[in-house]
Amino acid sequence: MELYSYKQDKFFIVKVSGRMDAITAPEFEKSCLGWIEQGDSALVVDLEGLEYMSSAGLRSILIVGKKLKSVGGSLSFSSLTPNVAHVFSISSFGSMFPVYDSLEKALGNS
Amino acid sequence: MKNRGLAFKLILFTLSGTMAVFLSAFAYFYVSSKDSMTKCVEENARNLTHSTVHQIEKVLEGVQKVPLNYASLLSARNFEAGDIAGLVERMVSTNLEIYGAAIAFEPDALAAGAYYFAPYCYRKDDGHLMNVMLGDESYHYFTMDWYQIPRELNRAAWTEPYYDEGGGNMIMATFSVPFYKGKDAEKRFQGVVTADIALHGLQQIVSAIRLYRSGYAFLISRNGVFITHPDSRLVMTNSIFSIAEVKNSSLLRRIGKDMINGGEGLAALESGLLLPDKCRLYYAPLSSIGWSLGVVIPEHELLEGVHRLGRMVILIGLAGVFLMTIIVMLIARRITRPLKDLSAATVEIARGDLDAKLPDIQRGDEIGALARSFEEMRLALKDYIKHLTETTSAKERIESELKIARNIQMSFLPRAFPPLTGKNPMEISARLEPAREIGGDLYDYSLIDDDHLFFAVGDVSDKGIPAALFMAVTKTLLKGIAETGLDPARILNRCNLELCGENDSMMFVTVFCGVLDLRTGRLKYSNAGHEPPVIVRRDAQPEFLPVPEGFLLGVEEESSYQTMEIELEPGDKLIVYTDGVTEAVNAAGEFYSHANLMATVRSCWSLSVEGIATEILGSVKLFSLGIPQADDITVLALSFAGAEV
Amino acid sequence: MIESLMKTAAKVIGVFFFVLAMLGNANADQDRRQVSFVPQWMPQAQFAGYYVALEKGFYERYGLEVNILRGGPERPSAEWLKKAAVEFATMFLSTAIVERAKGTRLVNVGQILSRSSQILIAKKSCGINSWQDLNGKKTGLWGAELSIMPRALFRRYGLQVAVIPQTSTVNLFLRGGVDVVSAMWYNEYHAILDAGVEPEDLVVFHLSDLGFNLPEDGIYCLESTFKDDPQSCCRFVRASLEGWRYAFDHQDEALDIVMKYVNEARIATNRQHQKWMLGHMREVIDLPEPGGYQTLLKEEDYLAVAGELMANGLIDAIPAYSDFLENCADVNEK
Repeated sequence: MELYSYKQDKFFIVKVSGRMDAITAPEFEKSCLGWIEQGDSALVVDLEGLEYMSSAGLRSILIVGKKLKSVGGSLSFSSLTPNVAHVFSISSFGSMFPVYDSLEKALGNS
Repeated sequence: MKNRGLAFKLILFTLSGTMAVFLSAFAYFYVSSKDSMTKCVEENARNLTHSTVHQIEKVLEGVQKVPLNYASLLSARNFEAGDIAGLVERMVSTNLEIYGAAIAFEPDALAAGAYYFAPYCYRKDDGHLMNVMLGDESYHYFTMDWYQIPRELNRAAWTEPYYDEGGGNMIMATFSVPFYKGKDAEKRFQGVVTADIALHGLQQIVSAIRLYRSGYAFLISRNGVFITHPDSRLVMTNSIFSIAEVKNSSLLRRIGKDMINGGEGLAALESGLLLPDKCRLYYAPLSSIGWSLGVVIPEHELLEGVHRLGRMVILIGLAGVFLMTIIVMLIARRITRPLKDLSAATVEIARGDLDAKLPDIQRGDEIGALARSFEEMRLALKDYIKHLTETTSAKERIESELKIARNIQMSFLPRAFPPLTGKNPMEISARLEPAREIGGDLYDYSLIDDDHLFFAVGDVSDKGIPAALFMAVTKTLLKGIAETGLDPARILNRCNLELCGENDSMMFVTVFCGVLDLRTGRLKYSNAGHEPPVIVRRDAQPEFLPVPEGFLLGVEEESSYQTMEIELEPGDKLIVYTDGVTEAVNAAGEFYSHANLMATVRSCWSLSVEGIATEILGSVKLFSLGIPQADDITVLALSFAGAEV
Repeated sequence: MIESLMKTAAKVIGVFFFVLAMLGNANADQDRRQVSFVPQWMPQAQFAGYYVALEKGFYERYGLEVNILRGGPERPSAEWLKKAAVEFATMFLSTAIVERAKGTRLVNVGQILSRSSQILIAKKSCGINSWQDLNGKKTGLWGAELSIMPRALFRRYGLQVAVIPQTSTVNLFLRGGVDVVSAMWYNEYHAILDAGVEPEDLVVFHLSDLGFNLPEDGIYCLESTFKDDPQSCCRFVRASLEGWRYAFDHQDEALDIVMKYVNEARIATNRQHQKWMLGHMREVIDLPEPGGYQTLLKEEDYLAVAGELMANGLIDAIPAYSDFLENCADVNEK
């Protein structure tokens, strides 16, 4: 799994590619918590390159989301691949976190 | 073997290196010593030759002066016949080197009527002078060399050496000078003035020259005849050319010719020519007389000093090399023996005896450092293995406990349905294959009361021990709450609330649960983030059951859940599964997918519930053959048979 | 009375002893004949056959006790014969004819060298390449009889040379005092090489090649000696020839013998030179068939030599060939 992050306007964009599973999810979690510590709390996670997400990944997202909530930040997702979209839909993550079709839309709307 | 290898190589290398250096140094020394020695000797020979030549020529020139003077005297003045004898006597008396002298006239030159006129005076052994008149029938001096040669050549000449007529052993030579009457065109030959010298004095000078043991000097005449030679048999009988003929040496003949032609030089001669061994000849001419002096130096004698020195050096060198061999061997042994001991001890350690004693090597050098490193390594190895053993036993302990935990966990899960009296209104079977020994999937089914079956399938986030514990808690909650008779949504609600407390780790569980009325076939079900099951109605294609939305259990207290209902007809089947099925990966990285699941269900729906569960599980396992199982796989199959009629 | 008796007694005793001596002599004659022999020059391989015959006991076998005297330049061998100091001597044929013509009654009992070894040697550097170039050159010639052949050569080819008398050395030639030198192929030629001159620098005129191949050394004795005891004379010649045969077959041994005499006489020569000489003797000495007595002097050769002698004014008349020669074939062997 690879993370590519940058700031744009007031957002902190994280592009995730590869697989998020029990092995790689902790890295995502640790990196995001680190960025939140730094003060970047308007996270936009673009999952265009993510081909698979396991329950471990979902768990990491929940942890990151809880942390963001505690600092008054926000978390949104964009460009979900079909597999990941299915998981989000089944687990109703879509109602927990905003999900956009594309990164532009995510940046435009929040 | 190794010992010999290293020591052997060490010795070989050092020895050949030193030998090479030594030999080249020696070769250089030998060659340059030989050269400088030879040059030195040649220089000496040259000097000796020149000084001897000079010495001899001084004598000869002294002798030559006398007849030359008298000849010019006779050419200048007229003398009476009676005066001549006096002149001759004076020649001898005033010159000790002159043995005899004569003034010989042409026929009828001086005294008319005297065909022969040649007064001769010579010194007897006792020192007295003897006067005689030469020339008679038996002594026709006009054709003798001492007379004829100067006459025909019109110049003074030395004769070849000859034996004295007196019968003695004396070798003589005569210098004769022509004298004339008149001048230029009218110059007429009158006679010769001669002086004889005995050569024994010169012979002694030359014979006295001794070089090394067998070196010598020799004198040859104008014809190359030996005048002196260490082998007296050669004197007067042999010439350098007759020797050359006997030895068949064109080199010696060439040298002889050069010598008698007044040449000077140095020549190297092979063995057997002038000496039994190889030798060098230095020669220089006695120009006044036309003879030549040769000095013969035996080559091996002149080089004896060098050879001896060389032998000593070689001996010392060999001794040194020998000594060095010993030393190198000892040094090599000092290195290889501890190495050998170390390697032997290491073999012991390798066999497992970590307490094997390493050889005690207390040295400051690399070997000592190596030994100390070995010891440290041994101790570290010992420690590591101890830790490993401890860790392994700890690990084994955990593993054995995990096994026990698995057993306990599995024992939670219902195996077979307790048989009901009479015909079964439904059949239910489940298979669960955890990814590790204990998993995070769960299933449950039990009769809440006579008419209602409660069943549920759940998937805890992650795997391993935390998931297993969560699974145990969730299952117990579900069962407990279900037995209070609530509908599925409320079951999930209550369960969620219980699970949310103190959940910092954000563990969650997805659950599908349902309550089936066995009399009516009415199924009430609810979903918390779980995969929609597959429903196979009798005589219809399998479909995905629509499920109500509901968030995962254990995260949000405010999550709400809904109950949906369907009527099951006899022959309908329901297949509930976890995402371990659809998300199983094959070698190519492809997911098993919902499509595959559907296809499998289509192919096996007619089987018994056990068959269906087993078939689906088997299909998944086949699909992901070779790939380690990443997630727990659960399949629960339910078939409704209908109430007893 | 007593005086005359004493005289008679003395005579008788004298005659008695004389007869005794004669008898003794006769006896000695029967046992072994004592003879003396002198070669014409100093000991060298030119006379090897005689020395070998003596040392190997051939003369003894033929009943001769031979004493070989030393010849040389001081006294010609003909003198020895004339004075009857020796029974046998060798000399040049030309010398013998001159003596005979002078009245010395010597006879030839064996011609040893039946071919000429006399040569003229010239230096190429003097511009001499063929006999025509000899014209006008300073030429060394030996004394009277020994120079008749070269003189005959010059006369025949119309060559005028400046004659320089030559004795026993070739040093004048070596020093450049003469352009041409007389020599014997078996002696002086090799001596010149032994003085360092290269054969390539010399031109050699063999008189034998130019039509003067006439006999040289022969064995001579007085006519009276032969008449007294022809058998001994013939035996001497026969033994001498056997000595030569042995010498040719055993050259090393022969050289050892020659060198013994050479060394005794302290002659300035060496074994190598004698080897050359002996080798050459082999070529010019014809040995008779085994069993033969001597090699005979041919009449035409005799007359040719004698003729030259006369032409040179050395003799007035040619002595009769039959008187000059003795043929041992006519001698009865006892």
